[in-house]
Amino acid sequence: MEHTSEYLTFALGKGRLASKTLELLEGIGIMCEEIKDKDSRKLIFVNEEQKMRFFLAKGPDVPTYVEYGAADIGVVGKDTILEEDRRNYEVLDLKLGKCRMCVCGYESAGELLKHHEMIRVATKYPHIAKEYFYNRKQQTVDIIKLNGSIELAPIVGLSDVIVDIVETGSTLRENGLVVLEEICDLSARMIVNQVSMRMKSERINKLIKELKEKL
Amino acid sequence: MKERLLHTPEGVRDIYGQEYAGKVRLQDRLKEQFHLYGYDDIQTPTFEFFDIFSSEIGTIPSRELFKFFDKEGNTLVLRPDFTPSIARCVAKYYMDETMPIRFCYLGNTFNNGSDLQGRLKESTQIGIELINDDTVFADAETIALMIESLQSVGLHDFQVTLGNVEFFKGLCEECGIDPDTEMDLRDYISNKNYFGAEAILDAQGINDTIKKKILRVTELFGSLDVILQGRELVTNNRSLAAINRLEQIHEILRAQGLEQYLTYDVGMLSKYHYYTGVIFRAYTYGCGDAIMKGGRYDRLLSSFGKDSPAIGFAVVVDDLYEAMRRQGLQETEERHATLLLYRDAQRKVAYEKAHALRKQGIKTILLQRDEKTGNEAYHAYADSFGYDIEEI
Repeated sequence: MEHTSEYLTFALGKGRLASKTLELLEGIGIMCEEIKDKDSRKLIFVNEEQKMRFFLAKGPDVPTYVEYGAADIGVVGKDTILEEDRRNYEVLDLKLGKCRMCVCGYESAGELLKHHEMIRVATKYPHIAKEYFYNRKQQTVDIIKLNGSIELAPIVGLSDVIVDIVETGSTLRENGLVVLEEICDLSARMIVNQVSMRMKSERINKLIKELKEKL
Repeated sequence: MKERLLHTPEGVRDIYGQEYAGKVRLQDRLKEQFHLYGYDDIQTPTFEFFDIFSSEIGTIPSRELFKFFDKEGNTLVLRPDFTPSIARCVAKYYMDETMPIRFCYLGNTFNNGSDLQGRLKESTQIGIELINDDTVFADAETIALMIESLQSVGLHDFQVTLGNVEFFKGLCEECGIDPDTEMDLRDYISNKNYFGAEAILDAQGINDTIKKKILRVTELFGSLDVILQGRELVTNNRSLAAINRLEQIHEILRAQGLEQYLTYDVGMLSKYHYYTGVIFRAYTYGCGDAIMKGGRYDRLLSSFGKDSPAIGFAVVVDDLYEAMRRQGLQETEERHATLLLYRDAQRKVAYEKAHALRKQGIKTILLQRDEKTGNEAYHAYADSFGYDIEEI
């Protein structure tokens, strides 16, 4: 992407979060009609009048785009921010998509979390799991990275527990699993590139202020 | 098997051709600027004893250092940063000097940090250290030099953010925050992560009045006026002195017409714990991180037995170069070199000619013509390397 100082560029995590974020932005008068066109094959959407640009990216890539300044601002889940561990400013809790990061498993596995013993943990978030077990619980664990249907791991005996996002807990209940420990609360956050925060401070601060008032 | 030999390890790379020429030019110009301010070159070893860069000194976390052993079993470290080395040098060779000492350095630093995040593990830094001067004028001069250095390499669109670590330290002291919590808070406050900081304060059961004060720090950035509001937040002298210092620096730099480059942020806290006063970072487009970082470190030299104040900064040359390239500011220099293409019979003439040209300061390359090689091949070669061909 070329060096474009006159635009404010947003990277939005694909999916529900993106549409909800756009609603929020509309609330403070920032519009992007182009992006709503579901048939569009465009990758980047521009509002020439307001000098805003938007693009959709896979969630885990949003902090990366922002860190390198390819986007000034990103909106993405706290889980992704923690997992990616990039150098960005985390300026706003948009209070969207609230859920929790938890250690889950069979009720009986609760005992395994009490004695610093070596256990197997399956997760989509190895970084978060490692940080939690090594630095907060001081428990040595064997982390297995999976890419989806994490709940399956304890059921088929791949791991003792899992670290995963829990929204309502219904998937867990249906499979006889429970939340054993809570790691942290999650929700969508607005992140800002460190350089943009200085170089475009006026526009970004105004945006943050207006959003804060709306929330 | 041979292809395997061509790889370099992750995080290091070759720099050559036009890029290297550009980088060297950039370094030369920065150095020239430092010399104009009276800084003398210094070279310190690429690796030193572990203790020089340990957590007591306060550089990067120990696990991010490249470590190895010497024959006696001492732990050695590839320098992650120059400042502790120069502090050690000054303590060693200038123990009794009390007047200002100025050193500038250039070299590579090593950081065994994150994998696969696109950051280099070896990067070139050029910078200055001013020792034995604790005045506000030293602060201002250092920042002015930082700005002028960036101007001298042709960068115009940049911002220097000034902070003062004393403000936050004073505030934590005033609020009775214990050192461990303060450490945890630092990360969140520097990242402007209001909610993360709030969670820590809540977990510690800290009351609302204090909580509000501390969280307010995440908002104290922008123009000088914004950080002056920090005065209403505190009653302790340490924090107030920190704000006063920034105000004085602003006054001096404003008088030099440099204020358009300045922004302020009292929530900016370095991960280098040896900083004790004003800290600053320069930002520009095209690079996700600061291209220059520095600050005051008045207690670092005492770790080496000399009680002297000091201030300095380092430029991350590779990042600055990359940012300038992205902004289209990197002019490519025409290569002026003459390629003397001669036949063996003319060798003596060719040698004399080459000698004469080099004496005039003209870069000259000798190449004996191989009758099997066509003229086009020589011309193509000369074009790709930017040589002027002269046939003898």
